[in-house]
Amino acid sequence: MAIRDDVLVVGGGLAGVAAALAASEHADVRLISHKQSTLRHASGLVDVLGYPPEGGEDADPIAEPFDALADLPEGHPYERVGADAVREGLALFDDAVGDTYVGSHTDRNALVPTHGGTVKPTARYPKSAAAGLASDGRDALLVGFAALTDFDAPLAADHLAAAGVPFEARGATVRFPGEFRDDAKVTRYAHALDRNEDLNGVPARTALAEAVKPHLDGEERVGFPAVLGDDDPCGVRASLAEKLDADVFEVPMGPPSLPGLRLEDRLYAALAEAGVHAETGNPAVEVEAEDGRIRAVVVDRTGRPVPYHADQFVLATGGLVGKGIDSDREAVREPIFDCHVPHPSDRYDWFDADAFGDHPFARFGVDVDSDLRPRAADGTAEYGNLRAAGGVLGGYDFAAEKSGGGVSLATGYAAGTAAGRAAGGETSDAAIPGDTT
Amino acid sequence: MSDAESPDDDFEPVQVFGDETEMDLRPGSDDCYKCSTCDTNCPVAEVEDEFPGPKFQGPEQWRLKRKGDHDIDDSVMKCSNCMRCDGACPSNVPLSQMHNTARGEYVDEQMDKLSVEYLRNRMLSNYRLLASLGSKVPRLANFVMGLGVTSWLGEKVMGIPSEREMPEFATQTFREWWSERGGNATSKERAREARAERGGSQVSNPDKRVAYFHGCYANYNTPEVGKAMVRVFESFGYEVMVPPQRCSGTPMFANGMLDDARRAAETNVEEFVAAIGDGADVVASCTSCSMSLRQEYPELFDLHGIEDLSNNTYEALEYLRIHEDLEGELADTEVDFPDVAYHAPCHARNQGLEGQAVEVTESIDGVEAHDVGDSCSGISGTYGWKEEHYDTSMKIGEEMFEHMEAADADTGMTECPTCAMQMEHGTGYEIKHPLELLETALVEE
Amino acid sequence: MTHTTEVLVIGGGSTGTGIARDLAMRGVDVTLVEQGNLTHGTTGRMHGLLHSGGRYAVSDQASATECIEENRVLRDIASHCVEETGGLFVQRPEDSDEYFREKLEGCRECGIPAEELTAAEAREVEPYLAGDVKRAIKVPDGAIDPFRLCVANAVSAENHGARIETHAEVVDLLGDEDDVTGVKVRHESGPGKREHATPGTTEEMHADYVVNATGAWAGQIGDMAGVDVEVRPSKGVMVVMNCRQVDTVVNRCRPKGDADIVVPHETTAILGTTDEEVEDPAEYPEEGWEVDLMIDTLSELVPILEEARTVRSFWGVRPLYEPPDVGSEDPTDITRDYFLLDHEERDDLRGLTSIVGGKFTTYRMMAEEISDHVCEQLGVRGECRTADEPLPGSEHPGNLDAAMDRFGLRSPVARRSTQRLGSRTEEVLASADPNPVVCDCEAVTRAEVQDAIASAGTDLNAVRIRTRASMGNCQGGFCCHRMAAELHPEYDEPTAREALDELFQERWKGEVHALWGEQLSQAALNYALHATTMNRDRDPARTGGVDYAAFDDGPGAPDAAGEGRGVATDGGDHGD
Repeated sequence: MAIRDDVLVVGGGLAGVAAALAASEHADVRLISHKQSTLRHASGLVDVLGYPPEGGEDADPIAEPFDALADLPEGHPYERVGADAVREGLALFDDAVGDTYVGSHTDRNALVPTHGGTVKPTARYPKSAAAGLASDGRDALLVGFAALTDFDAPLAADHLAAAGVPFEARGATVRFPGEFRDDAKVTRYAHALDRNEDLNGVPARTALAEAVKPHLDGEERVGFPAVLGDDDPCGVRASLAEKLDADVFEVPMGPPSLPGLRLEDRLYAALAEAGVHAETGNPAVEVEAEDGRIRAVVVDRTGRPVPYHADQFVLATGGLVGKGIDSDREAVREPIFDCHVPHPSDRYDWFDADAFGDHPFARFGVDVDSDLRPRAADGTAEYGNLRAAGGVLGGYDFAAEKSGGGVSLATGYAAGTAAGRAAGGETSDAAIPGDTT
Repeated sequence: MSDAESPDDDFEPVQVFGDETEMDLRPGSDDCYKCSTCDTNCPVAEVEDEFPGPKFQGPEQWRLKRKGDHDIDDSVMKCSNCMRCDGACPSNVPLSQMHNTARGEYVDEQMDKLSVEYLRNRMLSNYRLLASLGSKVPRLANFVMGLGVTSWLGEKVMGIPSEREMPEFATQTFREWWSERGGNATSKERAREARAERGGSQVSNPDKRVAYFHGCYANYNTPEVGKAMVRVFESFGYEVMVPPQRCSGTPMFANGMLDDARRAAETNVEEFVAAIGDGADVVASCTSCSMSLRQEYPELFDLHGIEDLSNNTYEALEYLRIHEDLEGELADTEVDFPDVAYHAPCHARNQGLEGQAVEVTESIDGVEAHDVGDSCSGISGTYGWKEEHYDTSMKIGEEMFEHMEAADADTGMTECPTCAMQMEHGTGYEIKHPLELLETALVEE
Repeated sequence: MTHTTEVLVIGGGSTGTGIARDLAMRGVDVTLVEQGNLTHGTTGRMHGLLHSGGRYAVSDQASATECIEENRVLRDIASHCVEETGGLFVQRPEDSDEYFREKLEGCRECGIPAEELTAAEAREVEPYLAGDVKRAIKVPDGAIDPFRLCVANAVSAENHGARIETHAEVVDLLGDEDDVTGVKVRHESGPGKREHATPGTTEEMHADYVVNATGAWAGQIGDMAGVDVEVRPSKGVMVVMNCRQVDTVVNRCRPKGDADIVVPHETTAILGTTDEEVEDPAEYPEEGWEVDLMIDTLSELVPILEEARTVRSFWGVRPLYEPPDVGSEDPTDITRDYFLLDHEERDDLRGLTSIVGGKFTTYRMMAEEISDHVCEQLGVRGECRTADEPLPGSEHPGNLDAAMDRFGLRSPVARRSTQRLGSRTEEVLASADPNPVVCDCEAVTRAEVQDAIASAGTDLNAVRIRTRASMGNCQGGFCCHRMAAELHPEYDEPTAREALDELFQERWKGEVHALWGEQLSQAALNYALHATTMNRDRDPARTGGVDYAAFDDGPGAPDAAGEGRGVATDGGDHGD
């Protein structure tokens, strides 16, 4: 009986963190997540809306995402929460990450070079990627490491040229200094640079700059794969920039993604600062509910069910990748609260024959009302005190429209705020399922 | 009851595998979708590129196996068994089980049984035997261990780094104290008194009974932790039992000594399942011990009752939080205690317990606990005790040392005895177990 | 463009490459043309069983006897393509004792070593067998990699002077109604290695003799020649599991039926199959119920399959043939024997022979027979040596220790490399430094990918079948782009991009049959990586026309804040 809070957030990714931070303004909050979040898979960029959801594969990128929010189809998470929640969610994010992220100076999207050599529209980007923007006219040298197969700098540079960027891009491949094995992990490179380790008698940052220098031909900026430090990326970039006499930026990669790791660290520090109790390691497996309200979420601690009581609950367990949505040959489901997940009954209707086609599976998730409460098949709310946020929501294809981070923040903010207010007695939640739809 | 009641350990220098079917963990690779979250959590791969990371050592290496392939890559011995990969994997790949099994296979099939490395690992993983000898003559043992010539010999002959100080043996073991105090009978009496004092209404279960798994370290080196556990639980009205027990197996898993671990497990399962039958839940004060009983036992061994033990084992603070209003009780207490720098052991993290010590101890008025971050201490049980891993161990610990230095404290706190050694070794702090703080707050002397 | 050769072989499957090798080794000038990649047709779409003959020991003892003979030959000459797994015919309680006895006797009659195992013994061999199986027969079945085998045959043929042209579709036959004198082919990207950016060409190839070894497509070549070749293509589904649940070929011991075999294949297990006649070998329905049937039925033998992860499914088309007078209704009744159709004898058309029917295990024997026939026609003398001379890569086993020590590979990577490369291991691995692993799932290093590119050009599917890169559990999500990057800078960026798109699409095609549970999560992750992180789905290099000036150019841009840049040189603060 001892574990009791006002708000319990289930899920520890961007949406869960946003919900917990928002709720903590109004109430005591606990966040539980089974394993580490998919932030570590993602590039660290926070997209709001990069392409129109129904624009097809030839759509142009959106420069002004807020202008486009009004046109979204019914059921899209942005349509559910409204444009103000998107702004509030971003403000909450900006507050949590401080000056480690850039983008809040404008409503416009930025185009960030990807490790595949394309550019991608995004709303917030790590400071480490800031000098790499594609709308910046300065020429760039991209540097890859011979043993790091995920980023081929000369190929990426040629691809950028094909994408018509307004600057000259060249690529060079160097051996990362020192004598690392060919399968060294990205964290190994980051650590060596963080600690400026001695590599054959030369400090790592100096050695790397020396390896790059001969390839530099007047470019004002140099891009590296995103391995430039984990704890001290600013220091690593500053050292390299000074030695190369050029701006230094990272090209986001993943998974695994150092920018994602850094973001996760920063967000969890913000949770701690906000007094949110966060714990990971054990799965939530089921709920205790009565009269349409959840009393507790049951956590399985190696076979022992332990109830976590709260007044309000937020479901933020992610989509198919984060395992918040699960499936078998017959059906798709949400495994913890068993919320309704609309989907075609024949699994051959779950995908498009084209690898980048319009995949129904990309839109799988729970269906929510305008208060973000998951709805049963008959359209009534599943529980009066449960809201959902982020990847577990259905009705949008974050990969195609480039909206993952923004939806997580906006719906996390909205769900967390509503839950926090209800738990803090500021509003009364609708206890009877279905009376608000 | 004395140590003599603990069953004898049969230490045989050459082991012979039984005729059990070889464990096939290839189906575990079904869950891996290659996201590499495990690799980004591996404290060893971050400082040591000879270690190819948990993904390779786990699902990839297993998936590439065919029957009859026995060439486990020797880099599996670089794994420190911190098990952070388990807590990382979003897809439930049984990583540490794969590592433990592969390591067992490597040691069994490929390691030279006469090598110094093997003998050293065997010795380290059977710490309880050393400790049981040492604690018979604790002062002499501590004196000899402290000699420069001993550590020189340790490094040169056994591959134990001279920088490490051997843990001191207590002059009275926990079990000696326990039996001197009157064993189970005394505990029963004290628990009854505590319940009476608390009044019936607060006692939900009149058979409040726990079986304490103290492990080797609380017995031989830090009996004050064991005593704190007993006194705190008794103050809540729990009768404490201390069944005969052997090593939890943690150091043996980490060294691939699965036969040794199985023998120890047979005793522990039998004794503690019997206690469960008597209405007790099993409680450990060391997070590696509870981890082992909960997760590694059922993953690695097929013994009667092992699931029952796994399902009924708790870490001490966790147990009180679930069954008592621990934070409520502590809210009224006040102690004059220095600020503490808390490190969550990896094995606590894996049980989802990384936040509780700070949450609980901060409820005590006058206690300020600083979490020093989520890095690994680097010692990982016996890992940091090996000459070839000492530098890696200290590199991994660097971040924790720095955070401890930066925290406004000079006392450290952790649940894990070997993390405590590393914290002390790297910073010179005195290290306490959270139960010791609870004892100060809750138990009137 | 014209070309002259003595013998022109149409079809780059096991039979075609086998014929090319055989003839080339006899000193005949051979040219082989294949419409797709090597193994494009039936050969690349089989479960990889190296028959002991046990499957035919009751129904078709002639085939069974041939199988065990060829099984022994291939273990010898193609050791780097063969895994000697052994096989079991497992009887469940509901299966007939009578048939079990017939199977055991049949094996013995055909000279197939066969041993009866109790249920306990069988489960000791394969612990995941169902608890209620009754007993089993152990036979020397094996697993064979058809890709590696065909590539090795083609390489051997080339080493003996043959010309091998893939992506060269026969669009017409040369000659008249009495005489075939060659073929006209369309090269998808010009002759030689396939290179995406190279435009297509056509070429007339004149030959003294033409061999139609196109399997299920033989009827279509026959149509061009104006002769009837009554191939009866029959499709079968194969379901690829993520990992090996069994290390032995597990057959159900019953007369006939769908879903009765599990073959351990490289890092996977393959479930098979069905037998259903189709009209067109290239166009037929691929349906979910067939996949379900495999999983549900074979779970009776190996229950763990019910919950195990499936990574993809594929269908193959058997080139069944029966003489016009037999008239079987059910394709499972059609003989698995092969037929040599000399169109001069049969149709008064000189210069062309078709080979139809048969099975993979006996490809070499078929090739030998038709080569003998062709040599007779050409008046060439030469002994067949294909049963004695090892294929390239099978001269001696690869040296695992050398691969580990000299090339710094972890032992499982070195082991897989040597298993795939055989005697070529050291030569290939020495060719790249650094030599990181490109495909993690299958442990394929850069050197091996580069070696494949050297012979396959920009066709990454051809690289895939040579190396297995992108054939593991992520189905290429994490390595397709790494493979494509290996093409650059030898090939330019648009070529590498086109090659990547083609491979990615090919991987998706089979993966869609496994989209539930873990593989659906994998697909969602792959999609997120390629669409979100890399923006390959809306790639501006393809869509064009991005107005860069309309987007954010950073807070430090001179036009925005009036101050200089320096975003990254500000020293920053700890913890960015």
